[in-house]
Amino acid sequence: MRILLVEDTHDVGEAIARRFEATGHAVDWETNGRDAAEIIDFTEYALIILDVMLPGMDGFEILKRIRKSGNAVPVLILTARSEIDDRVGALDLGADDYLVKPFDFRELEARARVLMRRHTGGEATNLIKCGDIAVDRGTRSVHVGKREVQLKRRELTLLEVLVARPGRVFSKDELLDQIFGFDEAANANAIELYIGRLRKKLEGAKAHIVTVRGLGYQLVPGDAP
Amino acid sequence: MIRISFVLMMLGFNAVQALAAENNKTLFPAVQPGAGTLTIYSTTDLVAIKPLIEDFQKSSPDVSIDYNEYLTNELNALASEACRNGEPLGDLLLSSSVDQLLKLANDGCAAAHTSPETLRVAEWANWRDEVFGFTYEPAVFVYNRSKVPPAEVPRTHVELADLLRERLDYYRGRVGTYDIRLSGIGYLLAFNDARQTTTVFGRLLESMARASAVARCCTGEILEEVAKGNLYIGYNMLGSYAYDAAQRHPELGVVVPRDYTLVLSRGALIPKGAQQADLGARFLDYLLSERGQSVARTNAFYFTESGELPPGVDGPQNLKESGVAQPIRIGPALLAVQDRAQRQRFIEDWSQSLIELNSPAWTRE
Amino acid sequence: MRPEALQHGPSLFGRLARRISFVLFIGAALLVSAAWYYAETAANKAYDRLLVGAALQMAESLSVEDGTLTARLPTSAFELLGLADRDRIFYRVVDTHGQTLTGYDDLKTPTPLERVQDPLSVEEGVYKGEPVRIAHATRILADPAVSGRAYIIVAQTNEARLALTRELTLRATILVLIMSLLAFAGAMLAIRYALQPVEQLGTEVRGRDPHDLTPVTVDVPRELDPFVSSINHFMGRLNERVDLLQRFIADAAHQIRTPLTALTAQIDLLGTGKLDKAGRQHFNRVKERTSELSRLTNQLLSHAMVIHRADSIQLEPISLVDVARRAYRVAIPVTVDPDIVISFEAPDDRPFVLGDAVSLREAIVNVIDNALRHGTDQRLEVRVRASGTQAFVEVEDDGPGIPPESWEKATQRFATSKSHEGSSGLGFAIAQEVANAHGGSLSFRARDEKGFTVVLSLPLYKGVAK
Repeated sequence: MRILLVEDTHDVGEAIARRFEATGHAVDWETNGRDAAEIIDFTEYALIILDVMLPGMDGFEILKRIRKSGNAVPVLILTARSEIDDRVGALDLGADDYLVKPFDFRELEARARVLMRRHTGGEATNLIKCGDIAVDRGTRSVHVGKREVQLKRRELTLLEVLVARPGRVFSKDELLDQIFGFDEAANANAIELYIGRLRKKLEGAKAHIVTVRGLGYQLVPGDAP
Repeated sequence: MIRISFVLMMLGFNAVQALAAENNKTLFPAVQPGAGTLTIYSTTDLVAIKPLIEDFQKSSPDVSIDYNEYLTNELNALASEACRNGEPLGDLLLSSSVDQLLKLANDGCAAAHTSPETLRVAEWANWRDEVFGFTYEPAVFVYNRSKVPPAEVPRTHVELADLLRERLDYYRGRVGTYDIRLSGIGYLLAFNDARQTTTVFGRLLESMARASAVARCCTGEILEEVAKGNLYIGYNMLGSYAYDAAQRHPELGVVVPRDYTLVLSRGALIPKGAQQADLGARFLDYLLSERGQSVARTNAFYFTESGELPPGVDGPQNLKESGVAQPIRIGPALLAVQDRAQRQRFIEDWSQSLIELNSPAWTRE
Repeated sequence: MRPEALQHGPSLFGRLARRISFVLFIGAALLVSAAWYYAETAANKAYDRLLVGAALQMAESLSVEDGTLTARLPTSAFELLGLADRDRIFYRVVDTHGQTLTGYDDLKTPTPLERVQDPLSVEEGVYKGEPVRIAHATRILADPAVSGRAYIIVAQTNEARLALTRELTLRATILVLIMSLLAFAGAMLAIRYALQPVEQLGTEVRGRDPHDLTPVTVDVPRELDPFVSSINHFMGRLNERVDLLQRFIADAAHQIRTPLTALTAQIDLLGTGKLDKAGRQHFNRVKERTSELSRLTNQLLSHAMVIHRADSIQLEPISLVDVARRAYRVAIPVTVDPDIVISFEAPDDRPFVLGDAVSLREAIVNVIDNALRHGTDQRLEVRVRASGTQAFVEVEDDGPGIPPESWEKATQRFATSKSHEGSSGLGFAIAQEVANAHGGSLSFRARDEKGFTVVLSLPLYKGVAK
């Protein structure tokens, strides 16, 4: 996918560009704020990674322009600033996420991925429930009762499949296809691992995953036995 | 007697003191001795003061009282001399001649004394809290009932003057009054008579002179002679003594004049620097107290400022209310009475009109 | 800006009150003295007339009878003098030969009679040890037998004069006292009124938001202008300092973070591919140290930031759940160990607190970060709840926790529960700093079967949230 990187520190920019190119994304790298702002006006990106301190025009200005023009592209802000006298944070200006420099490059990559996926699959609120488990497919958040539980991407996908048809038994193969797609190589053991994690994270919920021996798994409302 | 006293006066005060001390000293020993001896120099007759002293000793049994009685002029001479020498005379002076006490106080011979009792004293009877009047004694006429027919009993000064003029022969040598040369109280009363109404007094004096009035040193003598019938009428007698004598001699009549009545208040004074000034003050307080006044009313002085006249006395119902009473105010005006030129002049006038006119007939003993 | 160290000097009001009462006192004393003087003069004048009157009456009474000078002193003269009812009276009549005719032989006028000019003059003197006023009168006799001047001397003690003087003075004194009291009360009211602007200025300055460093604009009397401009000058300087510090922190943040980021970028670019075993070991060390340095830098800057913000940012009502959820999102890395159960729980009603969202977020981030790094084994729960007048953010983990004896130390700067790991303990220090600035506190709940909890308590906002 196409990513715009606006970063004036050369080696930082280079490292970020390399990392994203390595995972198959196309990266446009700008070092000047004004130039970047112009490019955004006529180019469509899947993600903009924006440094705050820039020559020409600073990151916040660019962000304001983007949002003013009605562009909903995900923006991830990188900031070296101290928020010593900030009245509003980056998120209040319409950023989707932000990272404070120096950051872990793996974390940057992970957050970027979350943002791009949320954007592409960006449907409106889509709430499915079983017992007191609620999955919001829009914001990709999971609640058990009042508790918001943090799930990893594949755990969430697995839960979405199970919650969509409560009581139905899914076989391991079926689940493998749903979670990893056909192109990824994964074995049935991976399913058991995710099911285990999911059970742990849903502990105390008024619905639980039942193992149907030889057949697969099902989500059943009610307290765990 | 008059002559003797007069000579004594001329002889000097020390001699008087020596002589008098022997005759007139009375000691009232304390029931329970302790507080010391209170020395009183007084002109009040012993008979009158006795009930008061005895009653005082009931409430103050620890006080002995040395009571010394003098004629007013004698007492004044003694006290003045003592004050000049800085040796106070006794602890309390009682004198009917308040003008003399006032002169003493004016000369700085008195000690001030205030107490709840002194506050009760009428304003006219208190000067500087030094001289207090403790009695209320009208100057009265006395007469012998067997000698003066009821129709002739004089009730005013004018009546007396007219009576003497009309019945000159009958009353010649039968009227007695103070010899003001010897008696301080006589001088005081005469002086005040003269101040009241000069014409009446002049007339009276003239009448008395024509009637060859007899002058005596003391009230007692005149009262005695009137009682005996030697004299028929006594003029300007102290009411207390007169009433007392009338009690004893029923033929004595007492008249409180209805035109005006001089009222004398006996004075008390604590000499400055008195040795037993506290005892003097105690006795003075007693005299002024309710109790002392009550004893005085029944046993000593009989007349009071507010009450009615004692029974048997001819006069207005109530002295104060009738407006007849002319109290002799204890105040600076008495200094005029005490002025020596004044006194000399007054006595000269008096002597001329009363005595020299009748000389040599006035000695009738 | 806290007033506890202010030393109290004598109050302006007290000083003015003292001086005014001093002046009033002196004035009253002068007036009373004057009143005494006038009263004495008046009393003397009044009684001197009586004295002179009496002397004249006495002089009138002198006459020549039978060729001798005779004095018949009128009682009325003494009665006149007796109007001063407690005073002793002394008199002397001197005949034409200078001999005493009657009265007190040793009474003399202070000025010899022959030399006295004013026939009505009254003099001070002493007789019989008593202070007296002495008057005299002259009678010129032209009788063939007696001719020449006869004199009357009259003296009177001073008791009535003194009594009158005292009474008049007492009345004047009462008036003076009343006037003084009125004047004093009036002056006090006036001072209070005059000092009101000072109080208003004080109220204005005291009532100010501590973060407001703009000049004071309150109408004050001219006399207070220097004071106000001093305050404003001082505030200006303070403001400059604050700005300077702010700029310094902002610059420091940017200037340190940028090369540090570049450094991590270089490390990331370097990769481990071509290194042998020992090289990989060194590379990993560098990577660890760099991330430690990054974290420390962030914490130091964050600490400086919250301290600064505590003094300069105005608090406003904010939803604690929103702040905590944002902090939770920031603090939990996407790359966290997937085996850890992490949850966030918020109440249905959204508790509001009066606070600075940035500082509070920073505090919560640090607490969660601390729990993730040093506490959490399998489970981390973040809860927001409210109870009574307090709102709480609780961070619970299933790690070993901090033993109670180390709690106090844990909130100190650079204290660490696991010193061998070389991590800085600034996290709790930041959280506590923020909690204190918000009137709240940071506390710990001992480990139970579920886990160990760090609690950030803040007072609930009672007003209406925007």
